[in-house]
Amino acid sequence: MLFALQEWMEWHRMGARLGIQAFALVHGLDFFLWGSICWSMWALLRERIRLAGIFAIVAGFLPLSILLSIGQEMLILFLIPQIPFNRPRMPYWSRFNLLIYGDFLNNMVIFWCAFFLFRGIDYYQRYRKHERTAARLETQLANAQLSALRMQLNPHFLFNAMNSISSLMRIDIDAADRMLEQLSCLMRITLERGDAQFIPLRDEMEFIETYLAMQAQRYSGRVEQTLSVDPELYDALVPAMLLQPIVENAFVHGLSKVNANGELSVAVRREGRDMQVCVVNSGTGLKAQNSALSNGHGVGLANIKDRLRLHYGEASTVSIVELDSQRVQVTVRLPLQFSVPA
Amino acid sequence: MIRAVLADDEVLARQKLRQLLREEKDVEIVGECASAAETIQLVSATNPELLFLDIRMPDMDGFDVLGALSALRIPAMPQVIFTTAYDQYAVRAFEFHAIDYLLKPFTAERLRGAVQNFRDRRALPPLRTGEPTSPPEVERYAARMVFKSRGRILFLPVEEIRWISAEENYVRICTGSESHLLRETMARLETRLDPEVFLRVHRSSIVNLHYVKEVKSEADGESAVVLISGEKIALSRSYRASIQKLMRT
Repeated sequence: MLFALQEWMEWHRMGARLGIQAFALVHGLDFFLWGSICWSMWALLRERIRLAGIFAIVAGFLPLSILLSIGQEMLILFLIPQIPFNRPRMPYWSRFNLLIYGDFLNNMVIFWCAFFLFRGIDYYQRYRKHERTAARLETQLANAQLSALRMQLNPHFLFNAMNSISSLMRIDIDAADRMLEQLSCLMRITLERGDAQFIPLRDEMEFIETYLAMQAQRYSGRVEQTLSVDPELYDALVPAMLLQPIVENAFVHGLSKVNANGELSVAVRREGRDMQVCVVNSGTGLKAQNSALSNGHGVGLANIKDRLRLHYGEASTVSIVELDSQRVQVTVRLPLQFSVPA
Repeated sequence: MIRAVLADDEVLARQKLRQLLREEKDVEIVGECASAAETIQLVSATNPELLFLDIRMPDMDGFDVLGALSALRIPAMPQVIFTTAYDQYAVRAFEFHAIDYLLKPFTAERLRGAVQNFRDRRALPPLRTGEPTSPPEVERYAARMVFKSRGRILFLPVEEIRWISAEENYVRICTGSESHLLRETMARLETRLDPEVFLRVHRSSIVNLHYVKEVKSEADGESAVVLISGEKIALSRSYRASIQKLMRT
């Protein structure tokens, strides 16, 4: 329409008395015809446009473009006999000869612009689709890995607990009974959670409290347990079963080797935009533990590291240090989150 | 003697109950049954005071048994202690005024506690069992609270609560031996508890007056409530007058 207006103004300037409708008609028709051609190209030839090599372009699309450019011009001239304006009536072929030189180039430009535009759009769409698929695959893979890692934990800890009950059964039936009840409580909590990857810290702590109650039963009075959690963090999200392997390690590698006055503390607090979990246990220090870790007993801790890396990338850290010859501290630092990350 | 009936479709489950109840010298087992139909028959024939009831049984569930019994208009409905492996019926059981809700497997200790709850309840004026409470609660204040804590279901009599403290979006309910963290607000709890017994002493604490030993003035001009167990709970100025008035009476 702007072209029509422009052309009309030009004619007007030159003194011609012509209605704007005529120009609107010509350009409207021109636009409509090219619109239809482009639409057909998109609908029928999209695949070919995308796949066209240099040969197909020269041998296929070049003749097509010439054909279409000429054909379109012929059709316009046929449909609107008044063109060219302000001239005496002329036979069809001389009108065609007069106008084809200017319009042919125009038409060719339109065709090839459309051609490359379509090629571009198609490439872009494919690229986006590919990207989306890749991203989805990546998440699926990460989820599968995470589920596998989480699944490793439940049976691991379950069999350890069952083994304890089995040995306790021979010595103290009541104690074995109590432990069985506590194990059921733990299983109930675990089942209720389902396979959620993230749970509120409060739920994780409830599990740990129950687990510690069971351990207290086993270590009857030998271990002093302290738990401290900043209430502000109760609703913060943590990966499910984050703490249990750390606490279990504290018992297996440290506390099981002391006969009295064992200490275990779990502290969770906020550190800026992170959450810091500290588990300190007394025992035999790291040297003795290191050999145990290399013997494959560090499954739990390695598992945690893998899961944290999958969840948070480099934003989380796990460290294990010896505070003194008797005490070991495991520190996990992870980004503080209050809603499920996408 | 407490006359009791055991209803559970599993032999081993009944055997465990029978064995553990042997320790309770005042409990006499007058019958055992393995199905809902048998239970209805046996209870109406023997009129026990206490019924240990499994919830999932082959023919009907435990609640159906109670419904059928109350429809039979037997002279006295037994009090019920539910024993089940499922935790999802707890609230319903609570509405039926059950004495307790034992999740299988339970320990001897837990069973003893449940039987003791029955003895305590028997000392109180009778409550109708077998019919759920109609919505506007008959008693204005809660006598017991039902909640889940550490994988167990608790029907906690409020008189066992010593004090309650607020922790952000949660409240911590402290009894003599344990503490339970619930997702609840102080304001909601306060309305459910009898103000004659439970007093708000601070924005973030409520105490059971039965466990308060004294009100102490600290050196810095602040005051605190001291419980018989020795715990000290900060007392706000705004609540000071009310507690002193109550302590004097």
